[in-house]
Amino acid sequence: MNDSLFSQLSTLGSSVILLLGITLLWRKSLHAYAGIFRWQSAALTVMFVIIGYFGHDPELYVVAAVLFILKVLVLPRYLERMEKRFGDQRELQPYVNVVTSLMLSGLLVLLAYVIARPLVLVSDLPTRGGLPLAMGLVFVGLFVVITRKNALAQIVGFLVMENGIALLAVLATFGIPIIVELGVFLDVLMGFLVMQVFVYHIHSTFESIDVDQLNELKH
Amino acid sequence: MTFFFLILPPLLAALIASLVRPYRALVGWIGAWLSLISLGAAFGFVAQVINGQTPTWGLKLEWLNLDEVLRADSLSALLMVCVTAVAALALFLSPGLGPPIQNPHWGELAYRPNQLRRYHVFINLFIAAMLLTVSANNVGVMWITIEATTVFSAFIIPLKLNKASIEASWKYIILCSVGIALAFVGTVLGYFDFVSLSGRAGNALNWTVLFANAHSLHPEVVRLAFVFLLIGYGTKAGIAPMHTWKPDAYGESPAPLTALMASSLFAVAMYALLRWKAVADATLGSGYTNNLFMVLGLLSLLIAALSVVLATDYKRMFAYSSIEHTGLMCLGFALGPLGTFAALLHLVNHTAAKSLMFFLVDNIEHKYRSPLIEKTPGLLKTMPWTGALFAFGLMTLIGLPPGGIFIAEFALFRAGFALKHPWLMGAALALLAVVFVSFIRHLNKMLYGTPSAEEINTERPTERFSWRIALLLINVAMLITLGLSLPAPLQTLLNQSVGIISK
Repeated sequence: MNDSLFSQLSTLGSSVILLLGITLLWRKSLHAYAGIFRWQSAALTVMFVIIGYFGHDPELYVVAAVLFILKVLVLPRYLERMEKRFGDQRELQPYVNVVTSLMLSGLLVLLAYVIARPLVLVSDLPTRGGLPLAMGLVFVGLFVVITRKNALAQIVGFLVMENGIALLAVLATFGIPIIVELGVFLDVLMGFLVMQVFVYHIHSTFESIDVDQLNELKH
Repeated sequence: MTFFFLILPPLLAALIASLVRPYRALVGWIGAWLSLISLGAAFGFVAQVINGQTPTWGLKLEWLNLDEVLRADSLSALLMVCVTAVAALALFLSPGLGPPIQNPHWGELAYRPNQLRRYHVFINLFIAAMLLTVSANNVGVMWITIEATTVFSAFIIPLKLNKASIEASWKYIILCSVGIALAFVGTVLGYFDFVSLSGRAGNALNWTVLFANAHSLHPEVVRLAFVFLLIGYGTKAGIAPMHTWKPDAYGESPAPLTALMASSLFAVAMYALLRWKAVADATLGSGYTNNLFMVLGLLSLLIAALSVVLATDYKRMFAYSSIEHTGLMCLGFALGPLGTFAALLHLVNHTAAKSLMFFLVDNIEHKYRSPLIEKTPGLLKTMPWTGALFAFGLMTLIGLPPGGIFIAEFALFRAGFALKHPWLMGAALALLAVVFVSFIRHLNKMLYGTPSAEEINTERPTERFSWRIALLLINVAMLITLGLSLPAPLQTLLNQSVGIISK
């Protein structure tokens, strides 16, 4: 009984997190990007707490707390601040239009189901149903990084991908060892900070944060 | 204990550099001398592993299981020497060690004090992160430190802010972060497979534990994990088709950082990949990973050969040469114990040769006003020492004796033909010939001729023999020694390393 509730909750939570990731593909304002990332991280925090509760692992509460502070409070605030400064062009112009993006993301999730099949077969954890969804989120994040022209949108894509990996890790193993988990958070934070510095540099050198102007280096 | 002497000096140097403000030349000198302690520690590890010991260090607290978190076997010791040697060279040849610059002279650009401070903080952190990677037994820690190298180096690629350097570092950070994230997916999958078999254990991310249990892992999961790891760490190592950041980043970074990235960072990324290859081979048999390595190795060679032919900028030309050597080493690692031996020997030689080249390129860059090959004629006349060493280094890189790369490539092709891969080896040889011819063509353009007055920087004095040139002669001596003989300790070390990664 408990196990089936657990497995339903984890699949539901993973679906919500994946859907929030796909929402990125049809929103066009940078403001929405920061908001979606915040909500997705909040949902991820809830997933960590749920798995910590059903899996009887108090370490996951610590990870959830750090995750909440970092990805729900700190990073979205930075994103919003940058968006206020640089977000004068409201419309993002991705390389691929919305309809095609959505269709491709559907294909990516399908691909994730194919790729994650051996994982689901191997695992006997109640959370295994969510594994393909987490893998799908990694691909959707990657897709956002590749197809967006805006530096901030690329950063959000990268963060969404990180969320996908965190979800994959917690669903598959009930959490990797806490020291590694904290190291990963530190890396995400540092990586984010250096990317943020570059957004400022790009803006002051190129007078906009569209990265398709970065095309001078050849041969 | 030796681990502390290995890793703490660069951390200490970074701390000093961040505390002293504004930057003074003394800070750079302290960092450079401290790096010799690391180098000594690396040789200490070599001595220990040759005697058959495997030093480890761990921490076991109640809530934190860091059992055997650091471990040095032969492969680690080999990499430690590669990293610390280039690091010491790079720190002694770093900008900011001379008196403050009035007119730009040998080896230095006119950086401002705040830029020099940033440079010395992050280059030391970068070195520390690489050293942690090669001493880490825990594959999670290995991943964290490799990601940290991306972040630290991204801070100093654009030491001079301009459009080109910003473009290069943006591409570098996005591509490498995404790539490394995929490597983490692979790490998680490996851990997942282990956990679903044997239950959760704090030290299950330790490479030794994974390797010991590799035969019982699920082949289909390991196959998937290895693809992610190959894409991830392959991005960092610059294996085609994930190599696109390399020419940009190498072309725009300060020379000591380029030297470190081209020789040590590449070797470190390859090292992480080899550790996982060993695990995957123990599960799947070696055919699967070998085929992947062969395909990507040949692709790297192909792309590099075509790009070298078209190269117009000499710094980017050496980035393509890096991709070429990456390809050759990938082929070597796919060819069983013989090939692995050749590839490791190649790795050592490449470390010496590539770091030499990027320091020389730095001299040339400051003497001439343009990075274009056709605008840098007459090297032998304007810079006799640099020109001569440049010619030697380039000929070593394309595999001419007496440089050690000749021996390594010879061993590689012998292994390939012995294992009955004539088509693969034939294709590789043909591509090498293309690289060879175009490099000689570019070298001819650069060595001879007479530069016009507006092409060279006349403010710089004519080059004379100095201690900075003398330091580069160490690399030359190493390359010639390795070309003529294989010292017994190195041979033992290489043989032991081959035993670890190739059965």
